[in-house]
This record gives sequence, structure tokens and C-alpha cells, in this order.
Amino acid sequence: MLTITNLHASIGDKEILKGINLSVNAGEVHAIMGPNGSGKSTLSAVLAGRENYVVTEGEVKFEGNNLLELSPEERSWAGIFLGFQYPIEIPGVSNVNFIKAAVNEHRKQKGLPALNGAEFLKLMRERMAYVEMDSSFSSRGVNVGFSGGEKKRNEIFQMAMLEPKLAILDETDSGLDVDALRIVATGVNKMKRPDNATIVITHYQRLLDYIVPDVIHVLYKGRIIKTAGKELAIEIEKRGYDWLINE
Amino acid sequence: MKQNYIYVPAPVNEFRCRVPLKNAVQQFIVNGKVQGSNHPFNLELKDNEVMDNLLQLIGVRNSDYIDQLSCAESFKFGKYSVGNILHCSHSFSLDRFVTNENIDIFLDEGASVDYIVMQNEHNKADHNTVFNINLSQNSSLRMVFLSLHGGVISNTINVNMNGEHSECTLGGLYLTDSKQLMNNSIDLNHFKPDCKSYQLFKGILDDYGVTRFYGRINVAPGAQKTEAYQANHNLLISDNAKAYSKPQLEIYADDVKCSHGATVGRLNEMELFYMRTRGISAAEARLLQQMAFAYEVLAMISNEELRTRMQSLVEKRLKGEFAHCKNCSKNCC
Repeated sequence: MLTITNLHASIGDKEILKGINLSVNAGEVHAIMGPNGSGKSTLSAVLAGRENYVVTEGEVKFEGNNLLELSPEERSWAGIFLGFQYPIEIPGVSNVNFIKAAVNEHRKQKGLPALNGAEFLKLMRERMAYVEMDSSFSSRGVNVGFSGGEKKRNEIFQMAMLEPKLAILDETDSGLDVDALRIVATGVNKMKRPDNATIVITHYQRLLDYIVPDVIHVLYKGRIIKTAGKELAIEIEKRGYDWLINE
Repeated sequence: MKQNYIYVPAPVNEFRCRVPLKNAVQQFIVNGKVQGSNHPFNLELKDNEVMDNLLQLIGVRNSDYIDQLSCAESFKFGKYSVGNILHCSHSFSLDRFVTNENIDIFLDEGASVDYIVMQNEHNKADHNTVFNINLSQNSSLRMVFLSLHGGVISNTINVNMNGEHSECTLGGLYLTDSKQLMNNSIDLNHFKPDCKSYQLFKGILDDYGVTRFYGRINVAPGAQKTEAYQANHNLLISDNAKAYSKPQLEIYADDVKCSHGATVGRLNEMELFYMRTRGISAAEARLLQQMAFAYEVLAMISNEELRTRMQSLVEKRLKGEFAHCKNCSKNCC
């Protein structure tokens, strides 16, 4: 589904990604771990199409197509979703108008008619239940005045509405208490299907108790230095990253 | 916002509103005179009189016979009366056309008035309006100025708060593109104690649009317990637009709450990126941002039907379409 080959990316004149190779197949859950500043968030931003980052070398193929030449919205239409580490607040744009614009744009791209009000509300109610979100959130400005946990739940709600093929969740667990973590993880697991895939970016093994990965990659200084099964997370939790770096 | 339509004027004698608001009474003012008469428009509400309906004044002007016009309207609201006005201003012309208009508004003790001004005029319209507003004690005025389109639109708003416990709310939204120029100049005087004023003016500027905001709050000696707030925010869509802002406070009393602030900025890039990652196209995302920016002023219109109508006009305008009402193709609102 996703193939990253020798990906180099910079911001300004600072090179952050220094040759990433990664392959994700449908039905898989990949976790990317690594110490602060290793390039985890840069990788997710590059995949989502953030313009500040310049890809200097390498390629990214998504379902056989060159992902890097698509705009952020085209990547979304193609089926990529980025769950933000720090979801953006948009005062004045209500959650419901925001997600309605997004869903209807996706439908338009697929040649489907826009959902009518009743159909949309039904879908929205159903998907809000995935992350135990109260309906009062729909009329509020996007993420405005939301707590850390509410923002992350809103990300997963948006993901549930857009049904991406590949979801990249950037530190979705940061700032969550145990209950919120469980709710968010349950939401993600509900959406798991044989034809979609998830990349979970995280610091901690904690999230991986709930969202169990098939593969774990350790990113360090812009390169993947270790790839292993889910048991690697437990070892990292015990021993930290130093032993991996020294290897 | 870049406009992609041509302003095509319709003759005044054919003009009528095809989609009137519910519970609204229409009154046309043609070239400064009440339609079918030779006198200017004056409104006087008696003491305790309550306007049940919205009075929609539709000021239309054309340049078939004249290229310059001076006109005046006056509004007098008696004690404890309640007024509700929508004042639309349109020009049917393609020529340069100068209008100097003087509007007097007087609120007697305890009067309560909502007054919405909607200006949608052609690119060569040069419209200067002076609003002289006097508020008596316990009166309350809420005005919203929507400047959608025009060549040069200048609103000079002079407010005198002459009685204790009076309140004045002024909202403004101005939208410019091409080489349009819009000015709002406010001089608000707190002469008596215990009065409140609140001002919020916002502008969205595209192309070579230029706007000027000049706002002065004057708190006179002895006007204690005054609360006066003023904010002006401008959003620049193009690199060539210019927004000038000059907020001023003059305070001669020592027990007051006052604030003022002005900003000139651009659309937030992170918001834009966030929306695009959700599949909202860049153009649609920008429109959503602009509507959100404008909404704070539109929300000051308390009549819901009117607010919805104005919101759709603003949205059309921001999309670069002609701002006319649904089901109506005439060139008004």
C-alpha cells in the first residue's frame, strides 16, 4: 500500500530525514518509535504534504502512485489521514461544518452526491459514538476550548468519518489519561479492516497495549535503525533506546 | 474574493425587492427622496411606540440625470420606544457618482433600537455618509455596518452618549477587492457616567483594496464607571491590499474600564494545512476561514432571518459572486 524508498527531507537547510525505507501493506499496523528529535513528526508531516518540508531525495508510492506530487487535499482524497500531535484550533468554524465540508468533498471526488442533512447527522452520531464524544461538540468551533483528550478524540472521530485507507497517528497518546487512551484506542481498533492500514507514532509502549502493532520501527537521527515484532516495545520500555543506538 | 462578475445596473422604475424578508415593511428612497414624493425620509416614533415589523429602507440612486447627490434622513425614537431598521444602500449606475448623505439618529430616554446598514454599490460609487447619533439616558442602540461592495465608501460615525446608563454597540464588516476603498471613522463620546460602548470592526481585503479605520473614544471628565471597548481586525488576502488602523483613547475620568486593539494579519497557514489534510480544498478552506472571521460581526445582528440573509450575501461576495439574494437576480441585495 505504502512504499517509502530512501526518503530524505529537510526544513530550511537542516536535513531531518536521512534515508527512510518503509513498506506498509493493507491490514497491517506499524508503530514508529524513537527518542525526541529523531524525525517521527517530520515523517508524518512529509507524508501528509506539509509544504515547509522539502523532499531532497527518494520516493513515496501510495497504491502505486507518486504521493509526493499530490497536494495535501489530494492525498486525503486518495485515502491518507494524518492524526495531528497538536490538533489545530479553528475559531469560528464549527465542528459540524468542518467535517461536513470534508466528507462532502471526499464524496464529490468519488462521484457521489453530497449527503443530505439527515443522512449526515445519522453518520455523525454513529461515528461520534466510536470515541464517546458528546453531541454538544458538533456546534463548537473546531478544537476550540477542547481539552487535550477531547482534541485527540476529535481526530479519531474525523478519521472515522473519512474512512482512510492509511491512517498516520502522530503521538495520538500524548497528553491522554488512561481512560482517554482506552477510548481513543478502541475507536482506532473499531476501524481496523483487512483493506486499511495504520501507522502509529509514539514514544511509549503504553498505547501499543491497546493498538497492537504487527511491526515496530525505531527511528533515530532520521534513519530506521531497528525493525522488529511487537515484543520490541516491551524491551524499549525496560531498557530505553540507548542499547539500540549503541548497536 | 476576486470578483468575477460585471455590475449590470437595472433602471430604478423596474426595481423592486423580489424576496422580501418576513415581517418587513419596505420603503424605497430614490435619489434621496421618498419614492413618489419630493421630500426626504424622516421617521419619528412616539413615546412607548414599538415597531412590530422590521422597516427595510432601500436607498437606490442612479446617475441617469445627475452625477452628484446630497441627501439626509432623520430618525427620532421617542421615550421607551423600540425600533428595528434595515437600511440598504444601492447604486444603479456604471458612472462615477458621488453621494453625500447625512443621517441623524436620536434616541430619547429608554429607547431601544437595532439598526443595520447594508451598503452594496457599484465600483464607481463614491458614498460618504455621516451618522450623527445622540443617545439619552437608559437608551440602547445596536448598529451593524456591512459594507459589501462599492468604489469609495466612507462612514463617519459620531456618537454622543448624553445620558447616564446608555449603551451603544457598533459592529462593522467591510469587504474590498479591485481598487475599492472603505473608510470607517468613529468618534464616540462618553459624556455621562455609567454608560457602555462596544465596537468591533473587521475587514477582509483582496486585490488592491484599501481600508482605513479611525476610532476615537473620548471619556469626558466626570464620566465615571464608563465601560468602552474597541477592536479593529483586518485580514489581508492579497499582497497588495492595505489596511490602515488608528485606534485612539482619550480618558479624562479615573474610574473607567476601557480597551482598544487593532490587528492586521493573514490567513493562518496551520489552519489551512489542517483543513486540507481533511480533504477540504485550499479554496474552500480559505472561504471557511474568511467566513469564520466575518461571523463575529454577523453574529451581532439579532434578527435571525436577517442574519442568515446577510451571511449568505457575505459568502457570495467572498466567493467572488454578485451578492444578491437567493431567487433574485436583480442587482441589489
